Amino acid sequence: MIRSVAARRRSIPTFSEGVSVDVATARPRVHLWRIGATVLLLLLAARFMAFVLFTPNFQWDVVAQYVTFPTVLHGLVVTIVITLSCTGLSILIGAPIALFRLSPLVALRAIGAGYVWLFRGLPALVQIVFWFNLAYLLPRVALGIPFGPTFASWSTNDLITPFIAALLGLGLTEAAYMSEIIRAGILSVDPGQRDAARSLGLGPTKTFFQIIVPQAMPFIVPPMGSQLIGLAKSTSLVSVVATTDLLFSVEVIYSRTFEVIPLLLVACFWYLVLVSVLFGVQVYLERRFSRGRESNAPGWFGRRAPTLDLS
Amino acid sequence: MLDNVDLDVHEGEVVVVIGPSGSGKTTLVRCIDQLQPIDSGAIYLDDELLGFEMAGGRLRPLGELDVAAQRRRMAMVFQQFNLFPHRKVIDNVTIGPVESKGQSPADAIRNARLLLERVGLGDKLECYPRQLSGGQQQRVAIARALAMEPRVILFDEPTSALDAELVGEVLEVIRELARDGMTMIVVTHELRFAREVANRCVFMDHGRIVEEGPTAEVLNRPGSERLRAFLSELLSPPALSAVPEKRDQTR
Repeated sequence: MIRSVAARRRSIPTFSEGVSVDVATARPRVHLWRIGATVLLLLLAARFMAFVLFTPNFQWDVVAQYVTFPTVLHGLVVTIVITLSCTGLSILIGAPIALFRLSPLVALRAIGAGYVWLFRGLPALVQIVFWFNLAYLLPRVALGIPFGPTFASWSTNDLITPFIAALLGLGLTEAAYMSEIIRAGILSVDPGQRDAARSLGLGPTKTFFQIIVPQAMPFIVPPMGSQLIGLAKSTSLVSVVATTDLLFSVEVIYSRTFEVIPLLLVACFWYLVLVSVLFGVQVYLERRFSRGRESNAPGWFGRRAPTLDLS
Repeated sequence: MLDNVDLDVHEGEVVVVIGPSGSGKTTLVRCIDQLQPIDSGAIYLDDELLGFEMAGGRLRPLGELDVAAQRRRMAMVFQQFNLFPHRKVIDNVTIGPVESKGQSPADAIRNARLLLERVGLGDKLECYPRQLSGGQQQRVAIARALAMEPRVILFDEPTSALDAELVGEVLEVIRELARDGMTMIVVTHELRFAREVANRCVFMDHGRIVEEGPTAEVLNRPGSERLRAFLSELLSPPALSAVPEKRDQTR
């Protein structure tokens, strides 16, 4: 009788012993190292909490004092407004760019590809500074027909406020990423769906908006959510052109009071609140757009969270 | 790839198309439904040329909206069902009549209920396609096709994606349509079914029609070596029945 290597090391009952066994009577295997690891991690977590709470240099009283300070709240509002308007702008520009890239027309595909290449390739910070200094390149901006009459013109310095520069720099960059997300979402829809819709005599517009778009949404929303969270944080870049966003507003205060760490913590607190809210919105949207398919929004770290269990 | 295909289908006729994979069966029905362009020849439905118009003495491809209008007079049932997963069963059946033929939603829903009852799914109106078995999904797809009140229904291997025990229920629905006199072109590997319902059988290979004639004649007295080889392949063990069995590997 050949026995496994395990049988040489362990006491494994054999069938021929004739002793009846039933695995239902087994007690669970105790993972000693898991218990040890948990204890160790709890200790480290406790040490970290103690560090955060009892280190005087954190100056939590100063944090508490400034967390609802009017200029900080104003900065938070500006950050939220920039986040939302950049999101709007990125979808408004990104969706057509995605369609350009999927167009049968080579010229449109080239424009779409060129846009993505340029605006995904340039750092957002460089773009913000560039747009802010646009007046050096174009002193006046005019609205008219190319090579034809001009209807109106404005001084670029009046037009490009720090806020507009921030909006353009971040929004145009985001639009490039957004168009890639939308394009990938549209391409993820089974081509058989288009065949079925066309076979029923639906025209191109109805096929696109009633069949393709609703099915592309579950592919678009999750990466779009991550993109928005990234954008909310990128808005801190706009403080370089003196936009009074959240980071800029705390910088103004600590340059006067030198309470650098507590004021940065105030900014961190509000960024985390903002990102958590956006995360909640993303989870809601994922559920909303997963009609007719299994929900692909599992838990984050709780019981339903997927794990890599190799045991 | 199709090459020199010449096929007439008369009203009320059921034509079965058989042939090895890659022989152009699917391409044939997709071309008829204008899902794939043809680069020579002509396809007529009820005396009307499909996909082209006369302009200045020359043919010119129709615009998408006109092609859509022509497709409304045909319907297709796909191998992978291609139901719309984001719409309920009843909406899958009404979307064609409402969005494409401009039927009122109330009429379309009434009609869809009747059709879904006819295919035995009167109790699944509010389900989403993923909640149904493959056989049920394909029956919804047939109801969706019927809702268009088409002149001809094109079936592209309607049972090839189904588990063996679900094939029967779908074939039964198609059999009933044949009895009701629906004009149909059916691409299939189900020879027994072909014998039962098809007036005519077409055998394709390498994009050409190799043999064509009354079903019994074609299947019982194959005239070409290629058809004989194809039939013996289909009929040889382990697939003795026309329905290939899934064999269980573990005992």
